[in-house]
Order: sequence, then C-alpha cells, then structure tokens
Amino acid sequence: MPYLRFQDVSFAAANRPILDGITFEVDRGETLVLLGRSGSGKTTALRLINRLLTPTSGAIFVDGQNIAQLDPIALRRRTGYVIQEFGLLPHWTVEENVALVPRLLGWPEEKQKTRARELLEQVGLAEMAARSPRQLSGGQRQRVGVARALAAEPGLLLFDEPFGALDPVTRHEMQQQFLALQARYRVAAVFVTHDLLEALKIGTRIAVLDAGKIECLVSRDEFLNVDKPVTRSFIETIRV
Amino acid sequence: MDPTVLKSLLSDVAELTGEHIVLAGVSWLIAAAIGVGLGILGTRRRALREVSVAVANILQTIPSVALFGFLLPVPLIGGIGRHTAILCLVLYSLLPILRNTIVGIQSVDPPLREAAVAMGMTDAQLLRLVELPLAAPTILAGLRIALVTNIGTAVIAAIIGGGGLGVLIFRGVASVDTVQILAGAIPAAAMALVADAIMTALEKRIRIQ
Repeated sequence: MPYLRFQDVSFAAANRPILDGITFEVDRGETLVLLGRSGSGKTTALRLINRLLTPTSGAIFVDGQNIAQLDPIALRRRTGYVIQEFGLLPHWTVEENVALVPRLLGWPEEKQKTRARELLEQVGLAEMAARSPRQLSGGQRQRVGVARALAAEPGLLLFDEPFGALDPVTRHEMQQQFLALQARYRVAAVFVTHDLLEALKIGTRIAVLDAGKIECLVSRDEFLNVDKPVTRSFIETIRV
Repeated sequence: MDPTVLKSLLSDVAELTGEHIVLAGVSWLIAAAIGVGLGILGTRRRALREVSVAVANILQTIPSVALFGFLLPVPLIGGIGRHTAILCLVLYSLLPILRNTIVGIQSVDPPLREAAVAMGMTDAQLLRLVELPLAAPTILAGLRIALVTNIGTAVIAAIIGGGGLGVLIFRGVASVDTVQILAGAIPAAAMALVADAIMTALEKRIRIQ
C-alpha cells in the first residue's frame, strides 16, 4: 500500500482553482518531485498534506488513513516539513530546535537530547548543538531544518524548495546529504522544486505541475523523453 | 525650617510615598493582567483586537484630570477615594500594554509561525513557546511605559481623595509652598526613574537571551 495517496484532489481559493484533480501515490523509500513554475500549485499541494490547507474536493490518504479524519496536530507531528525560510526558532539553541517535535510529543528529556545529538551528528553539525541558529550559515541552518524534520521518525517528509536560496556548491552538498538520509530512513518524500537538475538528482519519480494539473508523472529515467509542452520547456532549461 | 515641622513633613513624605507606590503599583498590575490578556486574545480575534484598541485609544485621549473627574459621580465603581483613583490609572495605562502586546505578537515572522504550526504546535504551544518569548521585549517595553506614566499620573489621585504624593504637591500649590511641592515631586520623579531603570534592565536581559 502506498504511504501517501492523492485521490482526485482539487483546491480552490476565492473561487480560483489552484489544484485540479491531482492523483498520485508515493511509497516509502521513494521521493516524488513536484516540478513546476511559480504559481503552478506545487506548494499548495504540500500544504494540503499536513492540513495547513484543506482540499475543496478529493481525498488524501497517509498510511491508509484519510487525513480529513485525523487530528491535524497529530498528523503534523508525524510529518516532517522543511521550508526554504528555515523556520528555526531564533531563541532556541540548535539542539533544542532539532528536538522540537519530540518535545511536542512528550518524549522523555534524555531521549529528546540523544535523538537531537544523533541527528546533528548525521548532518555534520554535532559541534554546533549549543549555538543559536543565528550563528549558522544558510547551509548549516538548512541542515538543522532537515534534522528537525527527521527527529520524530516521521514516515513522510515534505520539502518546499528547501535548497532554493543556497549557493550551487552548498546546494549540491545538501542534495547529496538528502540522498544519504533518504537511503537510511526510507521515508515517503515529496519534494517541491522548480529546478530540473535538482529534480533529476534526487527524485525517484517526477511530476510536472502546470496550472494546477499534473502534465506528466514519470520515473526519472523516462523524464527526458517526455514530449509535452511544459515538460519540454523544463528540459530546455538544461540543454547546453 | 523648624525641626518639628521638618519631622512631620518627612513622615508625611514617607507615608504618602507608600500610598503612591500602592496606587501606581496596584493599578499597573491590574492593567498588565488586563492589557496582556486582552492583547493575546486580540491576536486571535480580529474584532476583539479592533474594539479593544479603539477603546483604549479613546481612554488615552481623555485628559487624565478629566478622567478622574468623570468617575467621581459614577455609583459603585466611582466616588471619592483610592479605589476610584486606581480604576482611573488602570484605564489610563491600558493602551501601551495592550498595543505592545498585540504588536509584539503580530511582528513574529510569519514563516516562523507557519513552521511552528506545521511542526504540530497547538495554538497554546505556539503562544507559549514562540510568540510570547519573541514578543517579550516589546511587551516589557509597553509595561515600562505604562508604569512610568502611572507613577506620574498617580499624582492626580490626590484631587479625588486617592492619596499619594500628589497630596503634598497640591497642598504646596494651594499654599504657594515650594518646599511642599518639591517634597512631593522629588520622590515621585525618583520613583519613576528607578522604575524605568529596573524595567529597562529587564528588557535588556530578555533581549540578550
């Protein structure tokens, strides 16, 4: 059974359709990339998954359960979320930030700490644990954001253009790290980006979103052979 | 000055300073509870925010002497004495506390708030773990302004029989006695300065953390 399933999901805001009849599935260990231009609805799709938004029609299933019937707070605590603006709490240390969701879940303090240290170790920031997020570079902050999203062992991870603001070298390092973490934790990951190279590097499958509809949804290997207008225009961007 | 007169003046100063601290302090604590509470609720309910800020704004525009006068004839809550004075001071110091609480919470970075919600914080956790700590310096600044203003405004309590250092000042003004005026004004000013220094130090400490 797929871990995440969109079943004919539509979303409209102020009578303007933003997503229209979206259907896809994501298994654990798989990374589905939602590729699209600004305004294509890809971020909206992510925000429907952790119920920051509610679909106008259709249904979303996580681990076999219709999320409309789940407590949104509990759902969010088992869904990792990484955003571009980091969203790290500036008045907490790096370690406290990583331990946020375990803390919300009421883990014993010792276990929170051990888990946070373990993850900081994995993203190569063990010696930064006691620092303030303000003292970190953009790339380091993003690593903390990823570590935080993984802390409570979620089955599902959502990435909203997390590496968009990073320089190319740092971005590459982050992508490598993402692949290593995904190989280790095998979560169902949905990754939003507008960068085709990034999509090809980290996606197991790629869905191209255009005006709220999925234009194509194919495996990474098939992607470059797709003959559809928006998909082709993305392929153009990497042709030298 | 005659030593017995001086002695009686000093004992007046001591007693009235005590009353003044009670007037300004009690009204400040009540205003803090109402202002911070209402401010927090106001960030959750737009209508409440707009109405409460509008009311506090209007209250602030009433000249303080007039506000004391208005409450004199009101039954139950008004009349002569300390409780009416405290009520006036509460109404008068509400605005800076209310406004700074709302502004402080609202100026928390929206992506930060959204990230906190997306991590699974309840509204109460968002408030306790994110909004209040980040808004604390702004809220404290509002409390400081209210306290310092209150210490000054509490002087007027004397005209409705509320006591405090205003008693000396008004008595001094009536009898053109500079010594009495100064005996009231200097402790009131010193009190305001000390309060300001303590609150500023507190604000700085919070900001550094």
